[in-house]
Amino acid sequence: MQSNTTMYRLVGGLLTLITLITLYGCNSDSKSGTEKTTGEERPAFLQIGEFAINRISPARTEVRDGAGRTLVLIPRESPMPTDCAPNQVVRVPVQRVVAYGDFDIATLRALGVQETLVGVTRSKEHWYVPEIKRGMEAGRIVYLGDASSIDFERLKQQQPELVLTWDPSVIPLLDDLHIAAVVTTTPQAMCLTTRMRFVQFLAPFFHKEQEADAFFARIDASLRDIRARTAGVALQPKVMWGDVYEKRVMVEPGNAWVGELVGLAQSDYQFEDVFGTSCIEITVERFLYSGQDADIFFTYRTGSMGATSKAALAKLNPLIKDIGPLTRGRVYAPLPHYSQSGDKLDEILTEISAILHPEVYPDYHLHYFVELPDTDPIAAKEASHDPI
Amino acid sequence: MMTRLLPMLWHTLGSISLTVALCLLLTADLVWGYFCLNRRTSLFTPLNDMGLIAWMQTYGINNLFFSAWFFLLLALLALLAVNTFACTTSRVIQLLRAKRASGLQRLVFKLAPHVMHYGLIVILAGYLCSYLFTQVLTSSTLVPGSHLSLPGARGQVSLLSFDSEYYLGQRLAFWKNEVITPKARLLLSDGASQREAILSCNQPVRFQGYSFHLIDFAPKSLGGMKMKTRIDLHIRKDPGVGLYLAGMALFTLGLFFYVYEWIVYREAHK
Repeated sequence: MQSNTTMYRLVGGLLTLITLITLYGCNSDSKSGTEKTTGEERPAFLQIGEFAINRISPARTEVRDGAGRTLVLIPRESPMPTDCAPNQVVRVPVQRVVAYGDFDIATLRALGVQETLVGVTRSKEHWYVPEIKRGMEAGRIVYLGDASSIDFERLKQQQPELVLTWDPSVIPLLDDLHIAAVVTTTPQAMCLTTRMRFVQFLAPFFHKEQEADAFFARIDASLRDIRARTAGVALQPKVMWGDVYEKRVMVEPGNAWVGELVGLAQSDYQFEDVFGTSCIEITVERFLYSGQDADIFFTYRTGSMGATSKAALAKLNPLIKDIGPLTRGRVYAPLPHYSQSGDKLDEILTEISAILHPEVYPDYHLHYFVELPDTDPIAAKEASHDPI
Repeated sequence: MMTRLLPMLWHTLGSISLTVALCLLLTADLVWGYFCLNRRTSLFTPLNDMGLIAWMQTYGINNLFFSAWFFLLLALLALLAVNTFACTTSRVIQLLRAKRASGLQRLVFKLAPHVMHYGLIVILAGYLCSYLFTQVLTSSTLVPGSHLSLPGARGQVSLLSFDSEYYLGQRLAFWKNEVITPKARLLLSDGASQREAILSCNQPVRFQGYSFHLIDFAPKSLGGMKMKTRIDLHIRKDPGVGLYLAGMALFTLGLFFYVYEWIVYREAHK
């Protein structure tokens, strides 16, 4: 009897412990959401999706990149640490960078360190960012070849201290060249918070933490505005984001930042239940099923890739000609400079919200997307001249 | 006072009622864990390579709302191990005291379930050891022709080729042309000799005290975006492996005697 009483007390104690931990957890979580991240109050550890920053000491910061690799950031004048491999060490602030991805370069601009960029994987005619165009004209920034066939000789000549890449297959070669690399993409799609905070992941490489915090605060403010504006909307449009290609159907999953943004802006994302990597492959049946009652469709294709009108899209993919957005809804294509405008993330988020709820954004003019007309202007013109 | 308290504590810790309560709490905790794990893999993935203590000090403590269930799980498992040990040891002592009455052969059969319980404790200790002391080299990438050196060893590992099996059937259209069995052919050199080994998912390669685990690879399909061939590895030096293999051996031994008693011994003595 006595031992049973003791046991009940033990179980009771455990349940109390669970409750206390949960309450502390709630409290702790809400605290971390509002924590000031300026100056001395910067947290020692910051997780940003699959990225992480761990400030071990003023002279040593460890970061975890998108591939789960640990890199050690040390001041430029510090001696080489002995407890890690040389290819893990990055001397900061970094002064010469090669970047593969548009978003990485946009993040460098957001941090105000675009002058560190010395190599890109897109030729000059594909750039819409004036600083990069000018840098390429001046020879300061060099086109290193397509991402799948980098000219490593040229890369070596540029003497980068850091390569921001989405392709881990270049890491062994970069190791041979003694160039540190950071994988900036992740196996799972970046969620909205990660997209907003990614700038804080790159900031320690350049000692630009305050700029990163300011950028994050700007994006956060735009998100608050979106939440406030769309809070009372009556209509919740159904949205899909992706495209059907010749043999494959790719969409943004529900865990991607666009999926989360659509939900946050009082809309229904049709692929909410899809989880995984950005631009994930799904079956054509699933795409068509979700398309039946969708209202808005964001295509990956730009105008140069054929997204000039609903009719043009239907002609490219006859399978999708009957989905809701093409027959009675709206279809949006990104403008060519959209993918290079990650430093204007607040404007992009606002624009997407304005597309979803034009009623709460009167007189809004699109800057990053274009609404596709039913037919191409030329085709429509020709049709109007056809004798009936 | 102490002489009364210790037996009482021992009795309480070995109580079957505590076992039932712990199992119910473990179930409730794991249900809680299911909701915390859902779509939050990025919080728990680093636990596989950075070790329990470092994870607790960083990811764990900074995400208590989603990681508290895991801390509780550790506490509950520790209690379950203590409970199992106390309960089993009490019974084993009783059996050993009654050895003369039952005979050696009967004793061995009666000890079988307790050997399984001790096996379970050793397995749990092995996993704890793994999470505490494993040395992991994260995401080492190899492309054909490249090699990497092992720290503290003379060994070198090269990727000779990556020859995957693709799904070429018709029944699962979604899997068509996708890799179903990745196979990386590695060359393992220790300076004096070299050998080849095939690395695949759930088929690690062991070399010079390290184990190589395939974490990711490219390309993943015959079609789609052309990706350069590469494999991403986790290279682990795990001192817990021996412990949980020993625990599994102990468990199997107990199970063997337990089944033998039920199927053979009891039938023969009916």
